[in-house]
Parts: sequence; C-alpha cells; structure tokens
Amino acid sequence: MTISALRAAVESVREAEAGPNGLNAFLALADPDTDSGRGAEGGSAQAGEDGDGGRVLAGVTVALKDNLATLDLPTTCGSRLLEGYRSPFEATVVRRVREAGALIVGKTNLDEFAMGSSTENSAYGPTLNPHDRTRVPGGSSGGSAAAVAAGYVRMALGSDTGGSVRQPAALCGVVGIKPTYGRVSRYGLVAFASSLDQVGTFGRTVQDAAKLLEVVAGHDPRDATSVVAPVPGLTAALRRDPEGVVVGIPDEFFPETLDSAIRVATDRAVSALRDAGCEVRSVSLPHSHLAIPCYYVLAPAEASSNLARYDGVRYGLRARGRDIVEMYERTRHHFGPEVKRRIIIGTYALSAGYHDQYYGAAQKARALIAGDFRRVFAGGVDVLFTPATPGPAFPIGERVDDPLSMYLSDVFTVTANLAGVPGMSVPIGKVRGLPVGGQILAPWWHEERMVALAALLERGLVGVDT
Amino acid sequence: MSVDRREVERIARLARLSLEDSEAERLALELSRILAHATRLGELTPRPPDGGQIERGDGSEATAESDGDGPSAFAGTRDSGAEIPERLAAPPESFAPKMSEGFFVVPPPPGVTAQDAGRSDPRR
Repeated sequence: MTISALRAAVESVREAEAGPNGLNAFLALADPDTDSGRGAEGGSAQAGEDGDGGRVLAGVTVALKDNLATLDLPTTCGSRLLEGYRSPFEATVVRRVREAGALIVGKTNLDEFAMGSSTENSAYGPTLNPHDRTRVPGGSSGGSAAAVAAGYVRMALGSDTGGSVRQPAALCGVVGIKPTYGRVSRYGLVAFASSLDQVGTFGRTVQDAAKLLEVVAGHDPRDATSVVAPVPGLTAALRRDPEGVVVGIPDEFFPETLDSAIRVATDRAVSALRDAGCEVRSVSLPHSHLAIPCYYVLAPAEASSNLARYDGVRYGLRARGRDIVEMYERTRHHFGPEVKRRIIIGTYALSAGYHDQYYGAAQKARALIAGDFRRVFAGGVDVLFTPATPGPAFPIGERVDDPLSMYLSDVFTVTANLAGVPGMSVPIGKVRGLPVGGQILAPWWHEERMVALAALLERGLVGVDT
Repeated sequence: MSVDRREVERIARLARLSLEDSEAERLALELSRILAHATRLGELTPRPPDGGQIERGDGSEATAESDGDGPSAFAGTRDSGAEIPERLAAPPESFAPKMSEGFFVVPPPPGVTAQDAGRSDPRR
C-alpha cells in the first residue's frame, strides 16, 4: 500500500513537472521500484494520523532539499561539482523522517550550496514560483517551498543560514520554521556557514511544519552542535490561549522604505494579535542595521573555508591539470558565479591585513545583535513580530546581476541566524496578488511560542488580500 | 574600499580558483560595492537604547571604549605579506610513499572500491 502511494505521489509530480506549468522544483524523484523514498516497511496510508506505533508521518509525502545527504538519491547541492554525487551516509533528519513512515518523494532544487535568495543560482535552472511562474520562489530552499505550495508534497525539509527557509516560505505562501541553532541535527547537512546553518521545515499549515519539526528535532550524538534539551510539544501549542502574550514590534524592521502594502499586511496581522488578547509593545533592536554587512562577511568567510573541500580529490567532479594546483583550480572553476563571489569575499575578509577590519568587526557586530535580542526578551517580551521580507516575490532575472540588491532580500531574516534564535514565516495575506509572510521570532529554545502565535494568525488571516 | 582586478586575482589564487579575465573584472567591481557596504562595520559603536552598558551575546558586558574599532590583540601578529609558498622545502617525491602523474596516491576510503575511486569528471 505504501509503495503504491509513493508511486502515485512520484508519478503525479513527474507529470505536473513535465507539463506546461512545471516549476523545476525537483532535482531528483524517488524510484518507487526500489526502497528509495519508502518509509519503514509496511505502514498505514492514513496521512499523519498518530497512533500508528509512533509513525507520526505514516503516508505523508515529504520532499528534501538537495543539500541533505541521502543514500538512494543523489545529493548535488544544486552544483555541477556534485553532479550525480551519492553520499555514503544518510543525514540524521532524513533517517528520522523515513523512520516516522513518511514517503520521501524526491530532492528539491536550491541555490548552489544554499547560497542565494531566489533559487536562480542553481546549476540546474531556476525554480518558478507557483503563484506566478515569471517570478522567483525565493531561496535558497526555493524548490522545497514551491513543492509544498504547489501541492506536490505535504511537507518539506530545507536549511536556513540567513533566511533560506523563511524567505521562500513567505514568497510562496507556505509556513516555514527555522528552529533554534542546535535544535536539529546537521549531521548530513552539507555545510555552508557552520555557525549559522540550521535545518528547517515547510508545511502548508502551521501544524504540518510544526509536526515535521517535532520529528526531526532533538539531540544527535553525531552532531556536536546539537543540544541535549527537551523538545517542546509544538503541536500541543497550536491551541494555546494568546491572552496576555507580549508581542514586541521592533522599530528597525519597519523602515520608511518598506513596501507600503507589506506594511498594511503586517499592521493587519498585528491588529489580529491585539484583538486576540496579546499585548503589543514597540521595542528596539538597535544594531539591526549591522545585520546584512555582518552576515555577508561572516557567512562567506565560513563558506570559503567549508568549500575548500571541493578540490576534485574526494568529491564529485575532477578536472584535469598538469599538477595538483592546476587540478584544484580547474575543478573549482566549475563553481557558479555566486559561489565564486562568496569564496572571494570570504577569502578576502579572512586574508592577512583585512581580517580585523572585516571578520573581527563582524564578530563584534554579531555579539551586539545577539545582545539586542537578549535584552528585549529579558525585558518581558515573549515573541517578536516583523515582516518576513521587504516585498513580495520579484521577477526572475531582476536581481541576478546585482548581488547587493539580492543580499538585501534577507534584511529581516539574517538577524535570527546571527543571534541563533528561532524564527518562522507564516502567510499574512497577499500583496498585488502575491503571498507575503509575517515573521515571528522567539527566545532561544521556545519554538512553541511562535508556533502558537502563527496558528492564531493562520486562523484569523487566511485568504486576506491587500 | 576599492578592490582592483589584481587584488581579486591574488585572492583567487589563495582560494584556488581560476577566473576568466571577464570574471576577475566583474568580481573587482562587485567586491568593491559589497565591501563599501561592509565598511559600516568599521563604524561599530554599541548603541545602548537606554544609554547604559551593552551586554554581549555571551552575557559579558562591553563598552564603546573596550569593544569599538580599537587595536585587536591579534593585530600585527600576521605577516601581511603572506602568500602561497613558491615551493616546498623538499620535493614531495622525497617524502611521499607513492606518487603518480604529480599526484599523491592514497588508498580509497572505506566502502569505496578502487574502480569507484577512479570515476571522476564525466566531461574529460
């Protein structure tokens, strides 16, 4: 039964993707004739019903971002360097999803090595936004967000280093959660910026995204950064009474230049929270203006180190050279433009003479940004609410030649990664016919607070247009 | 902060990237713009909302004097002229157990056969 359910899911995605409205959301689909994608043997097709021997995702279709290591499917990271690469081991999150009984439908498209905000940096072509195929789905987990939004799968896993789950969730009109740094194992997540990377979840509903997070969360002895801490009951928090919850609205996230329609949508969401009994309070995160320069020094610096391993010796593509240095250089020539750009930025920021000016200064800025959050939460604020993005989905090609403009797409999301706090995006309506998201940020280890608030907004704001 | 093409080429050598001429030109322009944006990090002054002390992410306290853009404990300890060494003190052939066509020959990792290990760039 489970195998035929997988076949039906895979074939329907294959057909939809081959048709005139295909999105290029998947880089690989499971083979229903092998064990690929199948959950543990047997199982019920009753999607998502608890009580099946703990198999809480029995029969649920799930897609995986293609930077999560899988045994039966390739792991390309959207890069030519890893074309056809098969991992010899499986990511912990993939194993947990599989053991929960899910049907793993395939691997989704992404910006190469998760570097980007539009999925245009994939070596295998951009993913299209299901709400408007001339526009980007966001990134870097654009394939996962689009696959959930299009109904190809019910849930998906992504990764979020600077907003790569929350931003595409917002632009595709689905729910995306980035948990606290350390909440989810990164064993088998291909490293981009190790002090910022975290696995995140997508769902069409808050409940689905929360349920998937419950499955993958928790300590893993194979990842030294995963923390031994109890995982809060997220689905139990969905009906929590919001009376008296203190919601902070950071002034710095509502600049004068903010798209007026985004401001209207956010204001309406804030009103809904107030009407439901929340106490809404204006707060300040005074170092937020440093977040983008800080992030775009630290993340490339870490990336330049992490990507040094793609040298043609151990992984994927190897180009010929007269000696080993030429072999390295010719192999790495196959990185795409954005990856090269970030390696150059990162190497520059770490190089002799510039280290203190850029990397050292960025580390100081990061401490100040984290201190802002600590102070606000210590002052009695339970959660923060902001827009998830400065605007709705932008046209494909609009920003691809303007990296700084592309980087500014992440202006509201990067602070959570720099501070390590959890954040999520929940749909709060449409702007000019395109979905937009509100971002909820919570203190470290309190994902349940943002899930409760997101569920409240979901009940109150579904289908609202600006 | 302006970065020229020669500087990009120097950084690319450090990063083991070979760049086309047009790529180096483009990256010089882009890197200059991105670094100009990052210079605001150099103006870093903690901003206490209430005029008090700033708490670091690690819970300790910092002030503008102690945590500004002052000299770092690490400043000057690196050789600013550091480059890729031109050659090793001794040729690799003198100490490598086995070499072939200029490469070090190593056993395949566990679970990989010698045949698998020989599979590489499909385009070559």
